[in-house]
Amino acid sequence: MLRFAWRNLWRNTRRTGITLAAVLLNTAILIISYGLTEGMLRDMVRNSTQMVVGEAQAHAPTYLEDRNFYKSLPDPEAEVKAMDADGVGAAPRSYGYGLVSVGSKSAGALFWGVDPAREKAFFGLPGQMKSGRYLADEPGKGIVLGWKLARSLNAEVGSEVVVVVQAADGSLGNDLYTVKGILKAAGETIDRGAAMMHRLDFENLFVSGGRVHEIAVNSQGRLPLDVLAAKAQAAMPDVEVKTWRQLLPLLADMLRIMDGALAVFGAIFFLAGGLGVMNTMLMATYERIHEIGIQKALGATPLRIVGAVTLEALVMCLTATAAGAVLGLVAAYYLQSVGIDTTSFAGEFTFSGVAFDPIWRAAVSLKVVLWPVVIMCVTCTLAALYPAIIAARLDPVRAIHHT
Amino acid sequence: MTPRPGHGLNWVFGFGAILLIAILLAGPARAASTLTAKDILDRVDDLFRGDSSHGRMVMTVTTVNWKRSLTIEAWSEGKDKSLLRILAPTKEKGTATLRVDNDIWNYLPKVNRVIKLPSSMMGSSWMGSHFTNDDLVKESRMADDYTFEVTYEGERAGRKVIEITCIPKPEAVVVWGKLVVEVAAEDYMPFEMVYYDEDLNKARTMRFEDVGLLGGRRLPKTMVVTPADKPSESTVVTYMDMSFDLKLSLDLFTLRNLQQ
Repeated sequence: MLRFAWRNLWRNTRRTGITLAAVLLNTAILIISYGLTEGMLRDMVRNSTQMVVGEAQAHAPTYLEDRNFYKSLPDPEAEVKAMDADGVGAAPRSYGYGLVSVGSKSAGALFWGVDPAREKAFFGLPGQMKSGRYLADEPGKGIVLGWKLARSLNAEVGSEVVVVVQAADGSLGNDLYTVKGILKAAGETIDRGAAMMHRLDFENLFVSGGRVHEIAVNSQGRLPLDVLAAKAQAAMPDVEVKTWRQLLPLLADMLRIMDGALAVFGAIFFLAGGLGVMNTMLMATYERIHEIGIQKALGATPLRIVGAVTLEALVMCLTATAAGAVLGLVAAYYLQSVGIDTTSFAGEFTFSGVAFDPIWRAAVSLKVVLWPVVIMCVTCTLAALYPAIIAARLDPVRAIHHT
Repeated sequence: MTPRPGHGLNWVFGFGAILLIAILLAGPARAASTLTAKDILDRVDDLFRGDSSHGRMVMTVTTVNWKRSLTIEAWSEGKDKSLLRILAPTKEKGTATLRVDNDIWNYLPKVNRVIKLPSSMMGSSWMGSHFTNDDLVKESRMADDYTFEVTYEGERAGRKVIEITCIPKPEAVVVWGKLVVEVAAEDYMPFEMVYYDEDLNKARTMRFEDVGLLGGRRLPKTMVVTPADKPSESTVVTYMDMSFDLKLSLDLFTLRNLQQ
């Protein structure tokens, strides 16, 4: 049967060859564009999560609703230890509102109490300095400001900053800090409002008694999101663990939209490939009307004829998609390792204030290859059904007389 | 991760509010006679108001998370100059707030710096005291900025009261949507003022208690502010002593004096 199908395919070398090439190229292009889109999406996620948000975050229940200073995590050290044990990067953060003042200028700010060593080890933000350096690992009344906040205060590296806050016990916390660094663009919230300091300095200023409001965890893509969230939740059952999909709903929505757009493109490619196969099969069927008539006259059932024609299509598709997969994979791997330099046509691209890597790289994974191959095969086989059914319904007497 | 500016501002900024209320409510207690609604509102506005004033008070703030008291010394001159200095507790001792016209400065003794309150925070509320910065700088008079009418006259909770409801005039620059003022029918001493926001939801209640002699005037010595959304919280201001219409040094309300 198979050999028969294979032989039949090559009766018209040129037509089959063209269809084969069309399906092959379709598959390859699909793999490449899928890989590139995946690469872009992955880049977006990485930029948005690895910078500061992390893949998941733990907060006290309802903390995110009002950011109430008193809704802190019950046992932050336990969570951090559990994450360390799993080899997942964890950064505890405290937040408090207050006033920063430089010279005669002052502005409201959100103070971050951070563990600089952990931030540097697990997150990208400390590497994104516009000027100066990120906080030192040891406390020392140093402060790092968002660039717009620094601009509105006329603050530079080395500037003396007065900070005034409402401490946890209701008293007035105030102190002098020195600007150690100014951050690059990292999103409006940070740009306009963030004043970051060592968590021990924060404790002194806010009389916060070690309150931690957030633990951001980041496995750098090593763990699937749900596994990571489950681990974080297991270490602290009473807290609210949210993944970046919940924390950054805009980004998650955008990814969904892009997935949808990709599906539409995919459908167009599939349709094109499918029509090509259908055409080949139709022509092949017409060409063999005489022969099919004889087959029928000899007692071949309609089912058998449908099977034969469909098998022909399947064989062709498998051949074409296999070759296409190889071609696509080679190209996608090339684009993964070398990438496309986008600076020549896109300049510097930023998304929600975060600068993107100007090299656009593909991301190759099993699904990137498998889906195009499987769907292409199915489409092509389905496309062959129509001519197959036509062939099966031929009247043997008229078919035999057909020339 | 959206910062809400002003949410955690220190409450020293609010102490000026006490003075403002003092100014608002200042005025000599005249003999009680039948007054119009306008006269009553003017009297309430003038209760604590004088050409100048000097006094000491204790402010106790109770929130769901903490409770603390501050002793404050305050000076005022005219409608638009005031100075407050914290006497106790030790951590905030010497912290001072100066208000001249619509500007507010704070002196922080610990770091020996004066900082100006940014305009973005003038209109914001802050944690701690249940006052807003608008309380500090507003100079509105009820009889001028609101249309008003007597909405109740008779007995309420065992005492004879007059209730006047004030609705802001369209052009008035005020933050409230409605004020309901309740005074004693007998001597027009205020009992209670209820503040409503622009959506006419109850925002806060200010009660006046403990009427007695202060600086030669009959005044309520204690004011209790309760936010409508947190009934368990309050800010209580109790005047210890007060004097009116005294001669104050000219450089009292200057930045130089603030940072001393």
